[in-house]
Amino acid sequence: MNELPQQLVNGLLLGSMYGLVAVGYTMVYGIVQLINFAHGEIFMTGGFGALTVWLILPGGTSMWVALPLMIIGAVIVATTIAVGAERFAYRPLRGGPRLAPLITAIGLSLALQYAVWVWYPEAKSARTFPQIPGGPIELGPVTIQTGDVFLVIAAPICMAFLAFFVMRTRTGRGMQATAQDPDTAKLMGVNTDRIIVIAFALGAIFAAVGAVAYGLKYGVVDYKMGFLLGLKAFTAAVLGGIGNIYGAMIGGLVLGVAETMATAYVDQIPGMEQLGGQSWANVWAFVLLIVVLLARPQGLLGERVADRA
Amino acid sequence: MTTTTTKADATAEPAARETVLDARGVTMRFGGLTAVRDVNLTVNSGEIVGLIGPNGAGKTTFFNCLTGLYVPTEGEVRYKGQVLPPKSFKVTAAGIARTFQNIRLFNNMTVLENVLVGRHTRTKEGLWSALLRGPGFKRAEAASEKRAMELLEFIGLADKAQHLAKNLPYGEQRKLEIARALASDPGLILLDEPTAGMNPQETRAAEELIFAIRDMGIAVLVIEHDMRFIFNLCDRVAVLVQGQKLIEGDSQTVQSDERVIAAYLGEPIDETPKAAAPAEDAAPAAGDTTEDAAETEADADAPAEDEAPADDAPAEEGTPADDAPAEDASDADDDTPADAADAAKDAAPGKENDA
Amino acid sequence: MTTISENPQAPAAAAPAKTADRGLIGLLPERTARAVVLAGAALTVASCFLSWTWTPRFPGDLTVYGYPAGLQLQVLVTGVLTVLFALSSYGVKGLGWLTPAGADGAIKFGALATFGTAWFTVAAISVQLGGPVNLEPGGVVLAVATLVTLLAALDLPFKRPAVLPVDPEDTRWDQHKQSRRNRWTAVKAAFAAPHAVKKLPPLPSAVEILIIAVVLGLALSVFTYGIGTEYDELFLGFLITAGLGFAAIGASGLLKQATQLTSKHQNLSIAGAFIAAALFPFTQTDDQYATLGVYILIFATVALGLNIVVGLAGLLDLGYVAFLGVGAYAAALVSGAPTSPFGVHFPFWAAILVGAAASVVFGVLIGAPTLRLRGDYLAIVTLGFGEIFRITVMNTDGTSGPDITNGSNGIASIPNLNLFGFDFGQPHTIAGFTIGRFANYFFLMLLITAVVVLVFRRSGDSRIGRAWVAIREDETAALAMGINGFRVKLIAFALGAGLAGLAGTVQAHVTYTVTPEQYLFAGPIPPNSAFLLAAVVLGGMGTMSGPLVGAALLFLIPNKLQFMGEYQLFAFGVALVLIMRFRPEGIIADKRRQLEFHENDDTHEPAATPAKAGA
Repeated sequence: MNELPQQLVNGLLLGSMYGLVAVGYTMVYGIVQLINFAHGEIFMTGGFGALTVWLILPGGTSMWVALPLMIIGAVIVATTIAVGAERFAYRPLRGGPRLAPLITAIGLSLALQYAVWVWYPEAKSARTFPQIPGGPIELGPVTIQTGDVFLVIAAPICMAFLAFFVMRTRTGRGMQATAQDPDTAKLMGVNTDRIIVIAFALGAIFAAVGAVAYGLKYGVVDYKMGFLLGLKAFTAAVLGGIGNIYGAMIGGLVLGVAETMATAYVDQIPGMEQLGGQSWANVWAFVLLIVVLLARPQGLLGERVADRA
Repeated sequence: MTTTTTKADATAEPAARETVLDARGVTMRFGGLTAVRDVNLTVNSGEIVGLIGPNGAGKTTFFNCLTGLYVPTEGEVRYKGQVLPPKSFKVTAAGIARTFQNIRLFNNMTVLENVLVGRHTRTKEGLWSALLRGPGFKRAEAASEKRAMELLEFIGLADKAQHLAKNLPYGEQRKLEIARALASDPGLILLDEPTAGMNPQETRAAEELIFAIRDMGIAVLVIEHDMRFIFNLCDRVAVLVQGQKLIEGDSQTVQSDERVIAAYLGEPIDETPKAAAPAEDAAPAAGDTTEDAAETEADADAPAEDEAPADDAPAEEGTPADDAPAEDASDADDDTPADAADAAKDAAPGKENDA
Repeated sequence: MTTISENPQAPAAAAPAKTADRGLIGLLPERTARAVVLAGAALTVASCFLSWTWTPRFPGDLTVYGYPAGLQLQVLVTGVLTVLFALSSYGVKGLGWLTPAGADGAIKFGALATFGTAWFTVAAISVQLGGPVNLEPGGVVLAVATLVTLLAALDLPFKRPAVLPVDPEDTRWDQHKQSRRNRWTAVKAAFAAPHAVKKLPPLPSAVEILIIAVVLGLALSVFTYGIGTEYDELFLGFLITAGLGFAAIGASGLLKQATQLTSKHQNLSIAGAFIAAALFPFTQTDDQYATLGVYILIFATVALGLNIVVGLAGLLDLGYVAFLGVGAYAAALVSGAPTSPFGVHFPFWAAILVGAAASVVFGVLIGAPTLRLRGDYLAIVTLGFGEIFRITVMNTDGTSGPDITNGSNGIASIPNLNLFGFDFGQPHTIAGFTIGRFANYFFLMLLITAVVVLVFRRSGDSRIGRAWVAIREDETAALAMGINGFRVKLIAFALGAGLAGLAGTVQAHVTYTVTPEQYLFAGPIPPNSAFLLAAVVLGGMGTMSGPLVGAALLFLIPNKLQFMGEYQLFAFGVALVLIMRFRPEGIIADKRRQLEFHENDDTHEPAATPAKAGA
């Protein structure tokens, strides 16, 4: 059982990636009450944006030069798509029937996936993603793989930035106001259209960073990666209390740890020997979602939403 | 079960006066904010009770406590002696129906279907009987439809039964909402601003409709902004200010209460024209003499009472208060708010005891 | 295509502005235009008997004089329609019944349909054979005649709707948008039916029933023709012809009259539709198209089941195919298939019960925790469930997990059904027609479809169905009407799951094998959750015939248009977005929504779903 700290760290790393993507779900949901199913695909296009930058750069470029450019590329691609989707697909439906934007989101999600599949060179199977040079880092009992180093650094920075943005800036406060009551916020002079665009864009930025982290962690990006990860990021958002930005990060961490622990230890529970291992990880993540919805539907930090509903 | 109760009510109504709704010490807190504080309110059968108050006074919150949308933090709400269940659909099943401030019809259903949805609690047919379509199902559907058509006849929309609800003009949508609420055979109907956005003719028609509902033996609780409407209509009026019940009594009592005037109209400068407005409107020529104004008020009330033959209780309450409008009107006419306040203060304590 | 074709039903009947008696393009005066339309259409018809190209290399052999074939037939049909509409507009005796809503809208659509199919053909010939030189004179005549007809048709006057004038103080972009919107309104009005549909004169019911039979027969032949199209060009031409031709008939008002009739004799029409569908295998000589037919039926039936959940109750179920999978796996496991670890062989009725019951159980397990919450949660949980079902089935192969489903190999060699001594695996000869294996299953599946149609109609038009729609429309108000929202939603969800499971039990036997990869969220082969949802949305949420039509289209389009290949799913996603943007009610609008357009129409029965020939 002395692998426990290692598993815990693995879980936290996985979870912080979920958290990065979950922020996008929760922010958009908090403001327009829309589950942006296409967010997983925005994450995926971010990954391909980063890969494209790497492919354009001359061979042999140092990863230390390339990585920032790749992040920028990922952010540009993901943000453009997210903002475009908001402007041309979601905005015209605002105030319409409840199902319409959800179905649009599914359509977008399929279109993005298969656009990459059809047109991105050699994207029909997974494409290798460049790696940071260097070996794993040993910290006492815990080893952090090279691919995870980026996550260790990027996730806290992103969250700190987000906290600053939401609490301290005018736009951030406008965002909170819109989330509380869009109509009143509008009357108070908050440009809600702009706020919504910003929410989509911010979500996309975080998803893009998450996608770079994903590429570095697993060494590949592929057109399908957004589907399951998006699903789990949404689970994380629900877990933390959808609409609550900090909740998304915490939900991500909880989900990551729970999933890792389930993968590692479920097969040691008598009677469940056959239900452990990586192939069941997604099942356990999903079971957790159901359990949370049953026990605490408002999520871990989600009191505000419960009041509103 | 409740169906029979309601019918029994309808026949027994003139004889005995039963307490339909009994809210005791209702308090509703959201976090640190107390939206409603210790409100008592009773509604008796055959009675129309009004609930007024300035914006943000907690009317809607109180309404939501009555309809099961909120569970009061403290206090309890009883309907015919039973504590209300905390789910809005159970409240409806128990016998309280409601309408909404912003019309909430089922837009893409026909007028008839809207009313049929209102029959939901009074019918039992489940999925299986719908699939098997036995004679019982057909009988129940036919009965529901008959009742729904009766109600549409009652509100005058029978010829539009097949129209989509969203295509009705505004006033008819309001009426349809009432018909839909009546379809659940309620013992008490809660109307949330039934005349909002209506023109004077429509308002008058709504008034008639509400009297007719009362005459069906259904108690009515109305939230309203239109003061004249509510004072014409209601046997009793309760005023909610900042989450607390300020006063309760018949129209005249409430109308003359200086705290109500203050709470409603805020600035004393605005006070006089608006306070006098109902009277002046009713009798445009009688702007000068206090007696005229008072009489007009009384006249306006009189036909309402005539229409309801068994209005003993309100009449009793009304008798002492009959003096009040005279006092009030005379003071108001002097254009001295301070005097009006004094006069009303004198009258107030006694009334509060009554309530 | 569909967007345009449905214009006549759009509420374009805005108040007429100053009666500007000119057409959309205004080249010719009305009388000349009408004459040119008639002449052009007649010429088009004539050109169908000419040779269009010199070589039979273009599929369908369009070289023969006097004998229209392939695409020529399609142009011929629309051409004849246009001629008839034009004659009707001249008031020719005995043709007035063709245009109960006025002829001009129908003429315009007819001309457009003819033009579309003809020019598609001309373009296809030119592209495939390398240039317009490959056109014979007949082809040139066709191209010119159809173009002239269309231009003349657009000269026919119409009531111009009142439009918002462009505000000169707006930004240039806003001005542009406004004028574009105005132009679009004008185009819509140009294609709209000139006046309201005349009511059908009272006819003896025998005649009415005869008309219904003819309509159903026509529908069957159109469908049979479509399913039997042998090459891409013919199918594309069919889509253009059928889509715009349908619009023309819609604009003429015939469609509405037919709907009036079918809703008057609703049960009869539905029964007739099923008889027509049952006749389908008899129109086929081999089992090839019966195979398509049975797959379409499976897809359509499941889509109709989903429509209860999505269309009536407004619950977005994104993992619906998993319930089909649960039913299919349950049936496969008890079918006596050699790869099933249970090794039991239940009779079919028991297998059906097991399949449906298993799906209902899963439906309740998924629904109970989520249906108490906001609707969005259900969407994501069902999406997750769909994925988890697949993963679990994949894992329970004996190595990654318990040995139940044989992992990715699936359960193979599911035996054919044998009901009352009728072996579904063997061809049978009925009245001289050989009915093959798939045709056998086609009949069985038709029975299941009938069950689902019955359930859909009866539940939809009842206390519980009204409760579903009420919840969909406004949940708070529905609760205030005394509806136990959770309970009612759970019933809808479980019922939907059960119907999918029911279809799954048959599907398992039709396909011989069930594998996890048949039950994806999105994939190239139709019964998957995304396609099911699309069939419902495209066809029309909350309607009965909508999902049936939508499913048939969504099955045939990828099946027939092989060249779309890898773009298919992309196109599909884009189509979903566009439908939601421009025609959220789908091809067949809910009767409840249709009511908007003819409010004072007494012939409509309450709460009735449109009964049109679907399958």
